Amino acid sequence: MWDDLPLATMRDVYVIGAGQSPFGSFPDETYLSLFETAYENALESVGGELDPDRIDEAFLGTLGVGGRQIGLSSPAVTEHLGLHGVPTTRVENACAASGYSFRSALTAVRAGTADVALAGGYEVMTDTSADQTKWWLGVSGETEWERTSGTTFAGVYAQMASAYLDAYDATVDDLSRVAVKNHGNGAKNPKAHLGFECSLEDARSAPGVADPLNLYHCCPTTDGASAALLASEEVAAEFDGPAVKVAGAGAASGRVGLFQRESLTSIPASVQAGEQAYAEAGVTPDDLDFAEVHDCFAIAELLAYDDLGFCERGEAGRLLREGVVDPDGELPTNTSGGLKSKGHPIGATGTGQVVEAFSQLRGEAHVQVDDPTYGLTHNVGGSGGGVTVHVFERTEVDA
Amino acid sequence: MSADRDDAADIAADGGSAPDADAVGIETAAIRLPEYRLSSEAIAEAWGTSHAPGVERKAVAGADEDALTMAVAAAERVLADEADGTTDGDDGTASPGAVDPDRVDLVVTATTTPPMEEGEFTPRLVRALGLPADVATATVGGSTAAGGEALARGLEAAASRTALVVVSDCPAGDPAETDHPMGAGAAAFVLSSDPAVAVGEPAWHVEEYPGIRHRERGAETVDTLDITTYQRTAIRESISAATESLALDADGVLDAESLAAVDAAAVHQPDGSIPYRATGDLPFDPGTVQAGTVADRIGDAGAATVPIGLLAAVADANVESDGAESGDADRRSVAAFFGGGTAVSLACRGTLSVAGVEELDGGESITYDEYLRKRGTIVDGDIAGGGAHVSLPNWQNSLDQRYRLVAGRCPECGGVTFPPTGACRECHERVTFEEFEAPRTGTVRAVTVIGQGGAPPEFAGHQQRDGAYGVAIVDLGAGDDEITLPGQLTDADPNAVEVGDTVTATVRRIYEQEGVPRYGVKFVPEAEAE
Repeated sequence: MWDDLPLATMRDVYVIGAGQSPFGSFPDETYLSLFETAYENALESVGGELDPDRIDEAFLGTLGVGGRQIGLSSPAVTEHLGLHGVPTTRVENACAASGYSFRSALTAVRAGTADVALAGGYEVMTDTSADQTKWWLGVSGETEWERTSGTTFAGVYAQMASAYLDAYDATVDDLSRVAVKNHGNGAKNPKAHLGFECSLEDARSAPGVADPLNLYHCCPTTDGASAALLASEEVAAEFDGPAVKVAGAGAASGRVGLFQRESLTSIPASVQAGEQAYAEAGVTPDDLDFAEVHDCFAIAELLAYDDLGFCERGEAGRLLREGVVDPDGELPTNTSGGLKSKGHPIGATGTGQVVEAFSQLRGEAHVQVDDPTYGLTHNVGGSGGGVTVHVFERTEVDA
Repeated sequence: MSADRDDAADIAADGGSAPDADAVGIETAAIRLPEYRLSSEAIAEAWGTSHAPGVERKAVAGADEDALTMAVAAAERVLADEADGTTDGDDGTASPGAVDPDRVDLVVTATTTPPMEEGEFTPRLVRALGLPADVATATVGGSTAAGGEALARGLEAAASRTALVVVSDCPAGDPAETDHPMGAGAAAFVLSSDPAVAVGEPAWHVEEYPGIRHRERGAETVDTLDITTYQRTAIRESISAATESLALDADGVLDAESLAAVDAAAVHQPDGSIPYRATGDLPFDPGTVQAGTVADRIGDAGAATVPIGLLAAVADANVESDGAESGDADRRSVAAFFGGGTAVSLACRGTLSVAGVEELDGGESITYDEYLRKRGTIVDGDIAGGGAHVSLPNWQNSLDQRYRLVAGRCPECGGVTFPPTGACRECHERVTFEEFEAPRTGTVRAVTVIGQGGAPPEFAGHQQRDGAYGVAIVDLGAGDDEITLPGQLTDADPNAVEVGDTVTATVRRIYEQEGVPRYGVKFVPEAEAE
């Protein structure tokens, strides 16, 4: 279906700025103040002065953990920022909320209904009781059967891990290697929630959460916000610095309940979204210089390698063992620290990945990849009910 | 009435085992005990003494079991799966001569511990078993004699109808004393005019005895004023009076022979010692009483103890082990119920195969600490943070799936969808599914263990009681009919369950929300099922 889209009629779209608040536990902040920080950092990153009045539309993602301002929270944010009267839509696709808010902004600029669009996301998770948080984290699982079997989110990913480790040449140590790698990267990211290194031994000996996953195989609950400014080629040409083009976009839905899917060792929506993004960008996984993938749980990063074609199916463990995905490997992955170390403020994660891709392609990342041209972001909602994949390209803009 | 008698005679002539053409009685029966056992030794260690005379160990309901789930499990063992003619009990134990659920036109249940003081009990049982919606029902409670009252009610109807009588109970008492003998268990009987064991007219004796075993309004635990001699006398005199009148019935199944000819007697047994004392005025030797006593192994299972004892007395397996001939059609047994001043006695003749009778000597031992947790004695059970909200109307609409695993087959592509709603999971067409019941035994495709403290809020209370629990994704059936669903593991060490293991569905308590318990399938790993 997607390969029939009239690509030729769509405008090219560029990311002209991207920024995030620190990710972490900030019980004194609000979703308004956190997004304000992210927005200011995004404006700051633009190569030149962008008049906020030029923002035509905004799309902001959040799950709404805690139930605060569950209706109309996004207009509350844009009004708070002084973007008075700008049409604003709240996007909710669980952990992929801002992957989808980015996609909506992209579509608006591609279609020409906006020349400049704001995409972003926010979540405040650490100011409620542990029980409240558990309840909210569970609301994106399939409610009637999965949740009522007593599973948590960790439990659903743990079920996938059990099936994956049973089916393929991968071990619990490979899961731990995700933590070691991502913490190694996150330790260099001053905005990371858990910015410390961990050894394989630390990761091995962590307390269990949902067998076979232990604490180091799970991302933290995090407060934070992120924002990206998307613009048409004409607008992008006004600004300095390397241009970051959205070369390809893919998105797909899947069954919300894991048990409803044919495979427990793959996320079909990731495969579909990835193929679509590669096709639009005219690249293959071999062309990628780095990737930010959705590692809410360590097994999710292994599934992403398989589903996005970084390796043959079932080979994900090898990429970790051989260092292919390390910062100095062939395909550095989660140089930001990933969800594991940088943190996972649910609604802010998708555009948070875009912040890292933008930084890499501008040569400003904390763990900088050598002269990258193509990078990928991969954002998963729930256990695979909604996925976005975006391919970014450093290029020149014809003024 | 005469037509019914003719029918019964025809059945008997066809090789039915009814000893008498006019007889009614037990066509088939089963016992269901929970998996766990607590020894009186463990109680004595905890309290310095055990107030459970003659009880060596008792059966303990799991954290997700109650009178309803045990009743469902017992009844499943006497009912045949409509599709393939075998039982679909939670461990696959087939009872010979299992009964087609469509034949059942009366359901009588008895329990002193319904999950709700007022609310649905028998309708839930009827739904979980897939019985016809026009079945007549009755629910009996209020005393340990309820089991006898339920059987009497079923026998009254059995000449012309097929009655399912299920007695299930799990009483509790003050932990320091009255709780010591409290056990759990269930028994299910199909009563009809084609009995393997004929049962005669019940004999009654009713007298007011205030202050003996009772439970105050709103109380969870049974109490007694413990006026020892008064209480013992009440039990002995009531049981003697009811039982002696059995022998006066010249047409009864005892053939007016003296009670001394009785081979086995299941007598009111709130502990392992009372049945011997209670029969002091009757001509029963200790071996006769022993043959119908199960309180020594399962404790005081409230209204269910005597029904279980009766089934132990008439079970082929036990008769054989006593050295008598298999299927002894002349074996005479008596059941003597007592509770709250009502005594009712039944005389039985014959034996039958009883599914689950081996559970009397099975089970897994637990410690006293585990017992207190499983029973919820030391758990507050309050839900913080709110539960996942599935509305009760939505839950009610999914009962066929939650109890009976009803799935949908796509008329277009043949693919299977569970639950059978929305578009076909295979071809994604919006179709009207052809519904079918999936088999209850299947294979683990994925599994995890939700660690202590990691459960969602609505399962926090269960986890406090049961500890870490497993959750699996299970495939049931094969080939084109295979369905997949998530389910909690129960009666098992969750860490011992792996991908590829075989599990069987059983109806258990899932969680409670807004004060209403909700039930559905969980899975028991094969190695743990008997």
